[in-house]
Amino acid sequence: MNKFLLPLLFLLLFILEGVFVEFMPSKYSDSMKLVPHFLLVAILLLSIFGSKKHGIIYGLVFGLLFDIVYTEVIGIYLFIYPLASYLASKMMRVLHANIVIASITTLLGVAFVEVGVYELNRIIHITDLTFIDFIQIRFIPTILLNLAFIIIVVYPLKRLFEKISEELGSD
Amino acid sequence: MPQFFLNKRLIVLLVSIIILVALIGFSLRDRTELTWPEKFVKDTVGWVQFLVSKPAHSVAGLFQNLEDLQNTYHENKELKTRVEQIVNLEKQVQLLDKDNKELRVILDKKETLRDFKPLQATVIGRNPDLWQEMMIIDKGKTNGIKKNMAVIGSNGSLLGKIKYVNQFSSTVQLLSSADPKNQVSAIIQGDKNVFGLVDGYDKEKRLLVKRIPSDAIIKKGQLVITSGLGEVFPQGLLIGKVEEVQSDQYGLTQTAYVKPGADFYDIENVMVVKGTMMQQQAAANLELKGGGQ
Repeated sequence: MNKFLLPLLFLLLFILEGVFVEFMPSKYSDSMKLVPHFLLVAILLLSIFGSKKHGIIYGLVFGLLFDIVYTEVIGIYLFIYPLASYLASKMMRVLHANIVIASITTLLGVAFVEVGVYELNRIIHITDLTFIDFIQIRFIPTILLNLAFIIIVVYPLKRLFEKISEELGSD
Repeated sequence: MPQFFLNKRLIVLLVSIIILVALIGFSLRDRTELTWPEKFVKDTVGWVQFLVSKPAHSVAGLFQNLEDLQNTYHENKELKTRVEQIVNLEKQVQLLDKDNKELRVILDKKETLRDFKPLQATVIGRNPDLWQEMMIIDKGKTNGIKKNMAVIGSNGSLLGKIKYVNQFSSTVQLLSSADPKNQVSAIIQGDKNVFGLVDGYDKEKRLLVKRIPSDAIIKKGQLVITSGLGEVFPQGLLIGKVEEVQSDQYGLTQTAYVKPGADFYDIENVMVVKGTMMQQQAAANLELKGGGQ
């Protein structure tokens, strides 16, 4: 398998997030915020099916990239992406690495990041949304969107990451 | 507690929290420019974004066209009723324009705050975490873009302003962003122009124009435009229409709730504008300063 496949896949997902929000229909966009976490889903699945080390490294690199390119507040995603992938891989050590359990763990990871980023943004006054509004406007739609994304990609990504981690292991 | 310090994971966590706080503090301080590594990364990623967004735009355009086709009948009906009004308006505008030019010649006053130069740019990405409403456009320093320039949408309404400039791309902060530093000086048009500051965006998709004097009378439906008095914005860019006016809790000032003229979602092409008069004035000021020294 090509060495560049994994970074390219993550870069594509990273840019896809930015393009996805650009084309969101405007009718519902203020009362319902759909936040794509495609990159995070892939990172979490990598740390579950691939290796924990790779998950954390990709979390660090793409978290930093996300901070620099999109939010312009360096630190938040740099910190929370690796933490989420560490926690996910820790959880999977206890649980059986079944595809359903992995999907639920990934979704929990997305929820963890959403709430974590909300709390951090409240601390630094980027947002003044109340927690109830946050749950209604952002959290529920976001979770549903990312659940749909997880259901679509979990099987192909599982196959891909297992293959890649085998190859890396044999090196 | 020696055991506490031996716990490697805990130390890693603590150190990373310290780094987190330091980095956030670093990026939140009042900075006018990004550091060069950030600019480099943004430009590099911007190039890839440009490649990806081109086909994405064309696919989205196809769907947009289909949607437009569905609404054609309704729109046509509505537009027909408006055409007649527009003919009348056009006549008036021509007359006024001519008058204005003649009077300007008499007064020997060439530039106004209203003059501006537009520069077309394409949106290549948007902040997907949606906490800060920001977009990335494909024009940068090499195209003559500077910090704080006004950005307008395809229908001519104000969208926001340039926050940071890189070599080949720049960041636009939208008016709907919840940043307290994101303020725009505005005029509410009426018999007497009233000044206010656009500051904030509420849940019902309305912009808040604050700090309007309490004795000013504002009616629903009045237009809100940029004043051109602060920074480098030109005058007369449409911001929106007044929907509701409320006085603040102490009754000292009023807040107008304004329906924005621009759609803050689904933006593809924007114009970056620069007031030509402000530019010349700034140059003149610099010369004066230089001459004084």
